This record gives sequence, structure tokens and C-alpha cells, in this order.
Amino acid sequence: MNCEVCQLKELEVEHFEIREVLRCILHTIVFHRALGLVRPKDVDLELFEITYVQCGDVELEKKIDEKIDHFISWVEKHPNKKSQICLSFYEVKSKQPSWFTNKTERLYWEQWYINLNVTQHPKHHSSKSHHTKLVVDPGESATEERSSRRAMVEASLREVLFQIIKFVNEKKDHVPPISEGVIYFPYEITIPSSSDSAFGMDMIKRMLHSGHPTMLS
Amino acid sequence: MEMDRESGKLEQIVSQFRSKILHVILDSRVPSLHHHHQLQQQESLSHSRVRKTDKWFNLVLGDRPPALENLNFSLRNLLDPMVIDIILVHRGSCSSSVDNLYSPSAPAVGPADETVIERWVVQYDCPRFIATPSGADASVSYKKIYKKSIILLRSLYTQMRLLPAYRIFKQLSSLSQTYNFDLVYKVSSFSHPFSREEESGMKEYSFAPVEALSGYLSVSVTYRATLSDFNLEPLVSLPPKIITDYVGSPTTDPMRSFPSSEKGAHATSFPLRGARPPSSSPFQRPHSWSSGFHRGFPSTKTQSLAGSPPAYRTSPKPYDIASTPTDLYGNRIQNQRVSTLQQVTAYDEYKSSPPFSPSASPSTPSYLSGANPLLTRHCSETAPVTIPLPLTGRSTRYLSPNSSDPSRHSLPPLSPRSSKHDASSQESPSGIRSYRKIEALRAGESPSGLSNNYSAQKVVRDSKDDSGRFSALLSSSGSPHIGFSRSSSRLSFQDDMDDCEFSCAFDVDDVDVSDSSSQNTEGKKASEFTAQSNLVGKKSQDAAVGILVQMLRTAPPLRQDSSCYSTHSLRTEYEGGVSIASGFFMPRKTADALEELNSYREMKDLLLSKSGTRVVRQEEMK
Repeated sequence: MNCEVCQLKELEVEHFEIREVLRCILHTIVFHRALGLVRPKDVDLELFEITYVQCGDVELEKKIDEKIDHFISWVEKHPNKKSQICLSFYEVKSKQPSWFTNKTERLYWEQWYINLNVTQHPKHHSSKSHHTKLVVDPGESATEERSSRRAMVEASLREVLFQIIKFVNEKKDHVPPISEGVIYFPYEITIPSSSDSAFGMDMIKRMLHSGHPTMLS
Repeated sequence: MEMDRESGKLEQIVSQFRSKILHVILDSRVPSLHHHHQLQQQESLSHSRVRKTDKWFNLVLGDRPPALENLNFSLRNLLDPMVIDIILVHRGSCSSSVDNLYSPSAPAVGPADETVIERWVVQYDCPRFIATPSGADASVSYKKIYKKSIILLRSLYTQMRLLPAYRIFKQLSSLSQTYNFDLVYKVSSFSHPFSREEESGMKEYSFAPVEALSGYLSVSVTYRATLSDFNLEPLVSLPPKIITDYVGSPTTDPMRSFPSSEKGAHATSFPLRGARPPSSSPFQRPHSWSSGFHRGFPSTKTQSLAGSPPAYRTSPKPYDIASTPTDLYGNRIQNQRVSTLQQVTAYDEYKSSPPFSPSASPSTPSYLSGANPLLTRHCSETAPVTIPLPLTGRSTRYLSPNSSDPSRHSLPPLSPRSSKHDASSQESPSGIRSYRKIEALRAGESPSGLSNNYSAQKVVRDSKDDSGRFSALLSSSGSPHIGFSRSSSRLSFQDDMDDCEFSCAFDVDDVDVSDSSSQNTEGKKASEFTAQSNLVGKKSQDAAVGILVQMLRTAPPLRQDSSCYSTHSLRTEYEGGVSIASGFFMPRKTADALEELNSYREMKDLLLSKSGTRVVRQEEMK
């Protein structure tokens, strides 16, 4: 089985947009990978005129929100940085215990990389500014700029969602068979950790556990 | 045999796949079907049951629309493509051929503009024959096909919400606005090619086909890239109009349940109604409702009219319909179908309207077509007709101002001595005041002055509060007119508040009691009172406000001097046909005048005594 990787288009977002954007993208991906019985739930974004679909699982929603909270905390500590969130789907395989691996093994069969560039506009007071907060430099130009920027982010987000749909449609063979009673495949959301290098370490760790993707067939 | 079974399995997958896709598309594009689905969802969530059809492709969508079953049957040949056109219908001021079901009574003025904004094509291509695998291979194959179909359906579901048409669908599905557009669908096994002009503005998207043994399942869509050409402006909301000759029957049973509102629940859009001017006569008023109601309630009965004297009915039609919305509303409350704030808001708007008769609903459309498009659009769901209910009988006498035609104070008095508002009472508050008064009386408060209003307010405030907004309005308002904050009748109402020229607002009890010639029997009155109290307890805080206003308008200055009262009382109109302003001056027999005076004195006594002690009704009966 191959591990399919999808690098999503980079999105330039402001701090207050992170939560909505991440929720939208993560839930959309999971909805396409929740192949068990689901009752789809439409969610309208507040900041953008986009409706995305959740698979309606409360636990899943909680876990995703938790991860997003961690990510936001990380972003606050590392402002103005490009970051990547990795959503991976894996299969749990039991393996013969050896001296450097555990009994169970995670076989990642799909990885999604959400690329965000969290920006802080100089006109805004701080990275925690609420979107309704007054801009320091009032005037039509600021409002227009804000709305055009918002429109750009919306268009980019829409593109990302189309990208997800396209990827999901084109690559279906690598998806494992659906297990009875399981709503969604086991997944893992990886956010950048405190140090930049640690993120890379996570990747290496994952590779060690699962083996190089090309080795798997 | 096994091959047949296996091919049967494939057929089943393909057939269900098509049905599921159709269900997803219709549910995301056709507002009327979507509302049906929403109601189903609300009901099914409580039971948390999953239908058999939901289990297909692991996507719970709720009950399939009945149309879908018919379509499935008509498109039995799985090798034929299934073409689903989503058509945006722009209505001018008429119904189109596509929508002729919705407004049977609407005049057809001209053709409607129809544009195909999306075309979905679902196809099962089977170009060559391949030996069907058997045994374990077959099972694995079908599982794979099934899994891939599931994924395709997921992406279709998501895609439906990202295409431009979804925005239009959401707008048209909104219950708070009425548009002269509608989204309809057409399913066939062939498609008329687009014109070059149409094609130029369209984009295409094809989902990756799902390999299915000897063929493949494909889904593609051609859609209009931009829909900004269609100016989806909500219909102009007409200013609320006070219906001054609102009539109703005292015999309406406010608690009567109506036939299943299932049909009514799927109110389709009635944009034409919104386009109608509200200033129509009562005969025109129900027209805008009738299409919707008659559609959903073919069994609308007139039994409620049976007991009402013909004189009370200015138009049988409105009353016919009147009863229907009542139950719709009742059903709504019971089934909790209308749960959005918008809907409640609409209801509240309606509540603040002046039509205070049991058949309030007829006046509602014209009143609300301006103030409350929600109700015009989804009348069967949102007809907040509780206002009229408590006013059965006794308040009808007050309700003449509700007519949209000020010259028709056709409020049917319940007795020859019943008071009627005169022509000048074109303001709605009269009906409201009467309701208020009733509430005050029921609360055992003195109906005199404004003090009653507060007590009445308290009474209704305690009742079930459908909308926090209104309770806030009530609690924050020191005077009834504030309850009309949404009503344009506020100004006129304030005038009325100051104008004490209408009297005998308190006649209702007296007249009911004392009028022997009234068609309302004691029993009826009792039931009406009961009904009223029930309704008071139930809803219509706004109605309470309205009643209070009405009371205030019509209340004579009891704390006052009797001469003033008698003057006012004499100006009260009797069913005998004495017009208000001129009644005092019309030549009458002395006996009549004396009788009238006596009746007013009795009413005065009654009201005064009610403020303190209970007055035995029989005393007033004569």
C-alpha cells in the first residue's frame, strides 16, 4: 500500500482566521475519510461564505478543536512563521517485536500537509486582535484592503477545498477496506512543536515507524 | 445463477448510487425538498433511527422525497444517463409553467424566466462485456466498488456546497425572506444541449469515475460559473398595514387541531404573495394565503363558520382559511417544527399585528406581506394565528379597525348592543386593546385606564414565551404601544391612546351576557372564555399587547365623569346598524336610546365592579 501525500496550497491567514480555516480543512479531509455511517453536518463559516461538512462525530470534533488550540498557542509563541499541520491516516499493524520497534506498528497510508502562513498585519494592534477591532488607520482604504484580503483568503480556501476533493477522487486505491462499525480511519494530527527542529524529528520518527513510503507496496 | 446474482448486486449498487446522488442533489438545491428534509431530520433525530436507504453508502440523508421514488421508477434503465437540471426560475408577477402547482390561483401574467444553472449527469457506462467475477473475487470487487462509490458521494456532497448555486439555494431556503426566484429541478434521461451563449458561461467538473467491473460510474456537472447576473433581491417588504375591518367568528374553536400539516410544512415559495399589495380587501387578502393553504389543506372546513352569524363575516374566505393557520401554528408548537429565531420573530411580528379575530389569519397575509415576508413565504408553517384565537367572540366587536378598508367597520358585533368601532378606528390597536382588555378582565383587574395594561401584560408575560424578544419587549415596555415597536401602527396607536372617543371596549362581557339575540350562546361564550384563557396562557404576548392597546383605545374614561362616558358610549355602534359617529345623532326611537343607555350603564357598572369585586354575569343579563 502506498502512502499518498498531498501538499495543500499555502494559505496566508491572520491569527483570528486560523481556527475557522483549520476546522474547515481538517473536517473536510476527515469527512472524506470517514467512510463509516455518518450523518453529515453542514457548518457555515462565519468569516467566509463557505459551507463545509463535518461527519458529525462529537469526539472527533473535540480532538480536532484541541489540536487547533495547541496550534494556536504555538503560533502565538512563534509569530509570523510559516507552519505546517500534518493530518495522517494509518493502519495499525501488529509486528513482531524487535529491539527497536514496538509490537504494533502504524502504517501511514495517507498524509495531508496543511501549509499556513500566519501573518500579522502592521495595521492591526496585535496578533490577538479580534476581527471586529478597529483598525488603527481608519478610512475606506483600510476597509477595502481588509475586505479584498478577506476575499483572497476565501478564494484560496475554496481552492484548497477543491484540491482536497480532487485528490480524494483521483486516488482511491490506497484507501484500506472499511471495517465494520468503524466510522473513520485512525488518524493523527501533527502540529509543529516548541522547537523548529522537533518538527523534523517527528517526521523522522514517523518514517522509522512506518518505513519509507516507497518501500511499502 | 451466481452470475445473475452477482450482476444483480451490481445493478443494485448502481441503482442505489443513482438514487443517492439524486437525493443529495435535490436536498442541496431544491428549497422545498430541503425543508421537508429538515423536518424529517428533526423528527428522526429524536428517534435516532437510521433508515434502510440511509445505510446505503453510509450517508444518512433522511427520508427520500416521494418524487425520488417516482423518478427511480421512470429511469429504470440503468444504462440511460440520469440528467438532473437545476433550474432557476425567475418569476415576474406570475406563475410559470414549472411552478403552476404552487399558485393555482395566481394569475398568469407572463412567462417566467428559466435558466439552467446546473446540469448533473450520472452515467453508468458499460462499453464492453467482461466476465463477472465470482466467489471471493466478486465480493472483494463489490466491496471496492462500494467503497469508491462512498468516497465519490462524500466528495459530491462537499462539492454541492462549494458550487455557486449553493449560495442561491441558501438564500431561497431562508425563511425570513421571499424572493421572486425559485429553484426547481428536472430529471430526465436525456438533455437538451445548451445554447452557445449558455455554454460560454458554464464550467464543467467531472468526478473521477468509479470502476465497476465491466463499466464505470461517472458523475459530472456543468454549472454556471457566476450567478451574479441574477439579482436575488428579496421582495419589497410592504409596510405593515392595519386591517381595520378584520372580522372573525366567535365560534372558532381556537384549540381545534387541523389536519396533518405535513403538506403545509413543505411550503413552497410563494413569491407572488409578497408582491401583492397589502391594501386589498378582505376578499383579496386570503388569496395570497389560499394558494398555499388550500394546497396544503384541501380539507379546509368551514365548520367554524357554522355558528357565526353571516353579519359577522365580511368575507367567508378569510375565515375559511383562518382556522387552518391556527392549527398550523398549533402543530408548529407541538411539533417544534419552527425553531429558528427567524420564524419566531416572524410570529412575533404577526403577533404585534392588529388582527384580532378568530380568523385573524386572513388579515395576516396582507398585513404581513409587508411586515413579515416569512409568513407569506411559508404561510403554512408560520401562520402565527394565535392572536385571533383568544379573541373569539368577545373581542370581535373590537376588531373592526383591522380591516384594510377603513370604511368598512364591519366588525360583527355579537349583539345588537355590541359595540363596534367606527370608521375612524382604522388603527389596528383597537383590536389589540380589546384583547388586552380581555386579559385585564380575566386577570381581575379594573379595565379602566392604563393600569390594566400592565396587569394584562403580566398575565401574558407569564404565559408561555415563544420569543425572548417579545417578553423583553413586554417587560421593558411601560405602555402597550411599545409592543408594537415593529408595527407601523404604533403612531396611530399612540394617537388612539390619547383618543378616548371609542367606548364600550368593555362591552364584550356585557354584550355577550346581555345580548339575548346574539348568536353566541352562553355556552359558547364560556368556551370562548376558556379558549381565550387557554390561549392567553399559551401564547400571544404580542396579542396581549395588541389587546391592551385595543382596550386603551376603546376604554371609556371610567375614572372620569359619567357624562363623558355616556357621550362616548352613545357613540358606540350597535349591530343594529347605527354608525358610531352618527349614532348619537341618528333619529331613533326613544326606547332604543333608553335601552342603549341602560346597556352602557350596565357595562360601566360591570367594569367598575370588576375592578373590585366579581360581578355576577347574570345580573347583566336582561
